Amino acid sequence: MIDERVYEMFRDIGRDLFEADMVSSHGGNLSVRFGDRVIIKRRGAMLGRLAPHDLIETGLEKNDSGVALASSELLIHRTIYKTTPALAIVHCHPRTAIAFSLSRDEIIPIDNEASYLLKKVPVIWEEFASGSPEMANNLAKTLAEYKIVMLRGHGSFAIGQTLDEAFHWSSTLEESCEIALKTKLINEPFIEYRGMSEGYKKW
Amino acid sequence: MHGWAGKVLDIDLSKGAIKNYPLDEETARLFLGGRGLGARLLWDAVGPGVAPLSPENVLIFATGPLTATGYQTSNRFSVSTKSPLTGTVLDANSGGYWGMQFKKTGYDALIVRGRAPAPVYIEIKDAGAKILAARHVWGQRVRATTQTLGQNNNKRNVLCIGPAGENQSRIAAIMNDGERSLARGGPGAVMGSKNLKAIVVEGTARPQVLDQEQFKFMLYEARKLLRQSPLTSQALPEFGTAVVLNIVNHIGALPTRNFQQSQFERAEAISGETLAEKYLVKNAACWACPIGCTRVSKTDKIEGALSGAEGGVEGPEFETTWAFGAQCGVDDLAAIIEANAICNDLGLDTISAGSTLGCAMELTEKGLLDSDLRFGRADLLAPTLEALGARRGLGAELADGSLRLAKKYGAPELSMSVKGLEMPAYDPRGLQGQGLLYATSNRGACHMRGNMLGLEVLGLPKLIDRFQVYGKSSYVILHQNASAAIDSLVVCKFTNLGVAEEYFARTLSAVTGVKYATGDLIRVGERVWNLERLYNLREGFTNADDTLPPRLLKEPVSDGPSKGWVNQLEPMLKEYYRARGWDERGVPRRAKLEELELGAL
Repeated sequence: MIDERVYEMFRDIGRDLFEADMVSSHGGNLSVRFGDRVIIKRRGAMLGRLAPHDLIETGLEKNDSGVALASSELLIHRTIYKTTPALAIVHCHPRTAIAFSLSRDEIIPIDNEASYLLKKVPVIWEEFASGSPEMANNLAKTLAEYKIVMLRGHGSFAIGQTLDEAFHWSSTLEESCEIALKTKLINEPFIEYRGMSEGYKKW
Repeated sequence: MHGWAGKVLDIDLSKGAIKNYPLDEETARLFLGGRGLGARLLWDAVGPGVAPLSPENVLIFATGPLTATGYQTSNRFSVSTKSPLTGTVLDANSGGYWGMQFKKTGYDALIVRGRAPAPVYIEIKDAGAKILAARHVWGQRVRATTQTLGQNNNKRNVLCIGPAGENQSRIAAIMNDGERSLARGGPGAVMGSKNLKAIVVEGTARPQVLDQEQFKFMLYEARKLLRQSPLTSQALPEFGTAVVLNIVNHIGALPTRNFQQSQFERAEAISGETLAEKYLVKNAACWACPIGCTRVSKTDKIEGALSGAEGGVEGPEFETTWAFGAQCGVDDLAAIIEANAICNDLGLDTISAGSTLGCAMELTEKGLLDSDLRFGRADLLAPTLEALGARRGLGAELADGSLRLAKKYGAPELSMSVKGLEMPAYDPRGLQGQGLLYATSNRGACHMRGNMLGLEVLGLPKLIDRFQVYGKSSYVILHQNASAAIDSLVVCKFTNLGVAEEYFARTLSAVTGVKYATGDLIRVGERVWNLERLYNLREGFTNADDTLPPRLLKEPVSDGPSKGWVNQLEPMLKEYYRARGWDERGVPRRAKLEELELGAL
């Protein structure tokens, strides 16, 4: 039985992701790490409508019966937890960010908020994307350096101390990409307003 | 080396011998500096069976790779030793100017061994170190000593003990720059036991920074973050650390009258707001600090020998205000400011001093101790502290902290301490994670070993449920590890209120050229934490010592927002050991030690 306070965290963030159009009906994923245990969304559950039985607890290292029910991305989440200090992961499908990921190897925000919070977001890619060991290792290695990463054409993985924090990075990225998109639509010369902005490229 | 000075100074006071040798690069990579380096050097230098106040104990003063680089708050340093109060591994750290100045003499660390035959002080300059006679300052209080030995901020800085350290009070602090303290756990008594009155430093060598361009960018970003956060740009500069007093009281987590209640009905009278309105002369800052949380306060009685800058004295901090305020049932802020000024001048830990007074008050009110001390007796704070510093009358008993006092009078449960170190100003019944933090802290109850105030109260980085028990250990562990890393850099934890660990890791990489990802930095902290744990286990501490006073486990809060709660330590502790990779007795497993490159120990 999942602790009620923990369930409420998942329920609220899952609903917010869905309502913000950052996941489709059954897309995206959430997990938290508590020591050597991982709590992750049940395979096929809808983030916008999470019930207590949609959360599965299993081991970080060791398998148990929980893995039969856990999300297909369990391997990725476990690998990230073993490689970084993360205690929470938000994986979602922010549409504008995905669109940008199709044409570049990194997303460097131009708006103030994301420049301030994210600096730079790497875009990575593996042939067999979801759930593969190669992807898990690549993602984890990149998240050791960055708090949010884009999988090309797929979505974002963000880490934090809490789901709340990882959601913050995710929504900041999507907002930033929407601003960048609208800037392209306006198509006027960019006026640099940030000090030492060259530093973001080296982040 | 970049960042590190690359040298250790080693002084044996018994032999009058001074030597120096290179800092081992692998040790520096693994433990950085400050608390981490101190713990590693202490592991080799002071084994089990060494009495903390014997010549065989050592004092290790250590800076870190960021110290004196000019990075925000890179002024700090630490002292490590075996604690005479708790018998545990101990480190205490301090700000001001001394740490920066010591690093500029060209050393990362100073190890002081032995015992001088007569009072001495050490003077360290670029050219080397000297051991000099200190008869002219032995017996002097801290402000007088600091002045006599030529304190001159930015040029010559004095670290010393006061009468409390000379008299080997187990709650004696080491003071630097007049008003700053390495306070907790009684390091001042160790210094007193060595007949070492002071250490004076004068240096000119700035540490080398490898990637200047990236370092400048990190400075710029940190400045932006600290200016953006209202906590670091408004709350702390305007009200000092006592800005949290009303907040903590409001949620029912301000321990009152020796933790008998968790709200103080007169909190407003001793709050940061009242301090700013009635007694604040100005705020001040440590070297390279853009925050400026230091208070300079003044009352009618603060004059003459007690006075420091502009006729005022530095402080009081939140913990001090609580210790002499709510903990003692005192609502007279002027009396609290004066108590703080006396403690600084005698060289005393204000948390332990105030909490010990609160314990004595409860012992007296319960008829176990024959004294005049009663909750609310503001008039007795000053004379009792003077007696404590001089080990006079009841002061001689108070001088060794609350646990020894409470044991003597048959009620050890009335000492609000963990492993003998008095608890700071947060009631673990209203902050579950803070309770686990206190119980597992290696130097005894401490809020600076991964303060959960950020997560459980302030929402830093995001708010979590303060009553949540399940899963809470993971947050506590992360913050314990992070705090050990920050204490090893060494920078001020208040910087961390605006600047996340990721920034520290990137700054460290830019300065030293050694690549540290965020996880690598946290891993340094985990290594330090486990080494400290091993040290305590080697000293004979067990999982039975990872506990809280019975009051916090058995007596529910009687009213207010935390009503009905006790601390749910047992399930959290069980989860904590497992999450740390320790066995059920709290002993780190071999695999964990190997993973942390501590296998050889």
